[in-house]
Amino acid sequence: MKILLVEDNERVSQFVVKGLQEAGHTTDHAANGRDGMFLAASEPYDVIIMDRMLPGDIDGLAIIEVLRKTGKQTPILILSALSEVDDRIRGLRSGGDDYLTKPFAFGELLARIDALHRRSQGVDHGHPLAVGDLSLDPLTRKVTRGDRHIVLQPREFKLLEYLMRHAGQVVTRTMLLENVWDYHFDPQTNVVDVHISKLRQKIDAEFEKPLLRTVRNAGYSVTAGD
Amino acid sequence: MIRSSALTLALSYVAVGIVSLILFAAPLWYAWRVTIAESRFEFLQADAQRLAEVYRHDGGSGLRSFMDARVGMQIVGERILLLTDASMRPLAGNLSAWPGNVPTADGNYDTEIAVAGHRNESALVHVANIGSYHLLVGRDNGLFKPLQTRFWYGLSAAFAVLTIAGVLIGLITRRALMTRVHSIRQTVSAIIHGDLKHRLPTQMNQDELNTLSRTINRMLDQIEHLVHGIRNVSNSIAHDLRTPLAELRSRLEQLALIRPPPEETFAEIDGALADVDRVIRIFDALLRLSEIDSGMRRSGFVLLDASDVAANAVEFYAPAAELKEIELRFSTAGPAIVSGDPVLLAQALSNLIDNAIKFAPKHGVIEVAVRRRENGAAVISVSDNGPGIAAAEKSKVVERFYRGDASRGTPGVGLGLSLVQAVAKLHGSVLELSDRTPGLCVALTIPADVLIDSAPPPAHAGAGEPGTAAGATLAPSP
Repeated sequence: MKILLVEDNERVSQFVVKGLQEAGHTTDHAANGRDGMFLAASEPYDVIIMDRMLPGDIDGLAIIEVLRKTGKQTPILILSALSEVDDRIRGLRSGGDDYLTKPFAFGELLARIDALHRRSQGVDHGHPLAVGDLSLDPLTRKVTRGDRHIVLQPREFKLLEYLMRHAGQVVTRTMLLENVWDYHFDPQTNVVDVHISKLRQKIDAEFEKPLLRTVRNAGYSVTAGD
Repeated sequence: MIRSSALTLALSYVAVGIVSLILFAAPLWYAWRVTIAESRFEFLQADAQRLAEVYRHDGGSGLRSFMDARVGMQIVGERILLLTDASMRPLAGNLSAWPGNVPTADGNYDTEIAVAGHRNESALVHVANIGSYHLLVGRDNGLFKPLQTRFWYGLSAAFAVLTIAGVLIGLITRRALMTRVHSIRQTVSAIIHGDLKHRLPTQMNQDELNTLSRTINRMLDQIEHLVHGIRNVSNSIAHDLRTPLAELRSRLEQLALIRPPPEETFAEIDGALADVDRVIRIFDALLRLSEIDSGMRRSGFVLLDASDVAANAVEFYAPAAELKEIELRFSTAGPAIVSGDPVLLAQALSNLIDNAIKFAPKHGVIEVAVRRRENGAAVISVSDNGPGIAAAEKSKVVERFYRGDASRGTPGVGLGLSLVQAVAKLHGSVLELSDRTPGLCVALTIPADVLIDSAPPPAHAGAGEPGTAAGATLAPSP
């Protein structure tokens, strides 16, 4: 994936660029708004990571607004400091696609970039999803594994659907909270883990090969590979 | 030199008093003088006329003997009479000579005349020329002297009383005010120097200074409470951050000292990350709290169904409750539409349920209920049959970082109920903690907003029909 990082803090950008490269992404870095604007407008990127506060006269939100006005639809992930939590809405309104507050876990950033990229590829919401021998039909709301029919509660269905739409990717607890329960806060407990283990009971417990895996220090992943 | 608002005010009042006294006395004085003088001249004229009649009737000698008789009967000085011939020789009366300062022409004169024995008395005289005689009839003003004097004395006394009393009252008021202002100033400077315990002295009465002092005292109460809270919070933050930071430090120190094999190093790094995450969580929660406290979030208010929010939270926590074999019940009386922040209400409710799960005993029961008050407010309550909260602790549990005895050994930083409280406050309500036997019931009341009164308008039935203006008018009632 080709990624642009617009970030003025040297330590953060070094860390992010290195991490993204290790994850197999090509990364360009702009240290100020002017360069960021230029690169974002001229190069075709798969995802742009934009710091909210930038030195100089152009800040992150201004760049996003200009890009959106000129018709650029590149998915944008906004990074911002903790103290700007309430800016989330403004950030998303100005045309950003996702929002992550600093400090963040790198796994969270990677997972969100993957999710953004996947979303921008266009998802057919009506199409049945399949991972290994597990399949889920969003229209009929039928879930089967092998030839066995699995009965899920509505929320469990939504959870599995989200995980399967991001099959092969890491999905963090925060992403699950935001997308499955629409909870934009940290409940400070392991409730998500409990939901996952319940879901696991239903889709994995009686089968030889587990599909729903826990990724240490990051989150979960539904994958058929090893 | 003496710059005092009280004294200046008093002196201004004195000045105003003197001016009004003058305005009152001057016309009186003038009217008195004019009226009395006129009537007295008329009296003298009438007297002179009578004497002229005597002359016409009895001739010069008759007049002289008449006047002599009159003078003989009178008290000297009360009435002045003089008759002279053409060469100014006195013929009759009680004056020895024609006074030099009175002309011989007919008329009224206000002058000074020396009457036998008395010197230079002020008098009014009337001069009439009868035949070849000169006649002078007069009356001295001695009779009116005491009256006049008393008038002036009275006026002067009034001036004096007004001035002295004004200045005295001004000085006393100033003294009293200065004493009180001084004590206020002393208290305030003590407060400026950091001792927030001081309060302004107040008395029972309702005067302006007292009212002001009481208001200031209330403000000081609030400030003291806030400062106390801030001190507590910063102490608690320091304390709560020390623990994970100390753990983190010793972990890193160990790594640096021992340099264990990679396998163990990675495990230690994971532990260090968890420590840092704890610190970040505390900051996160604090920032969230201050964000709510500042009221910024009110911009995120929308119409929402409190029942729906509660149902979602219950559903979210159901597996966690199940794991602890706790029965999580939910009851609602249908939709309860209020205006609020859905994210914050969900967070508050999730904190409450989370707490309840933490404290409810195994096989315990937690009840989440949503009901509507008659005024439209929605009441969301979470009750458990756990240990409850002692009465003394009830007001403390909502304080930041407070952790009751029951919560020792459980995870958390003591911000959960503070957040619920802050959310309640943002929604214009308070958190009610009440006892159950056993257990605790926490109720959050969200008042119905004015918005609710204007229910969504009914479907536009008349749209498109001829006769109804496009979109602009209301549909005719069925």
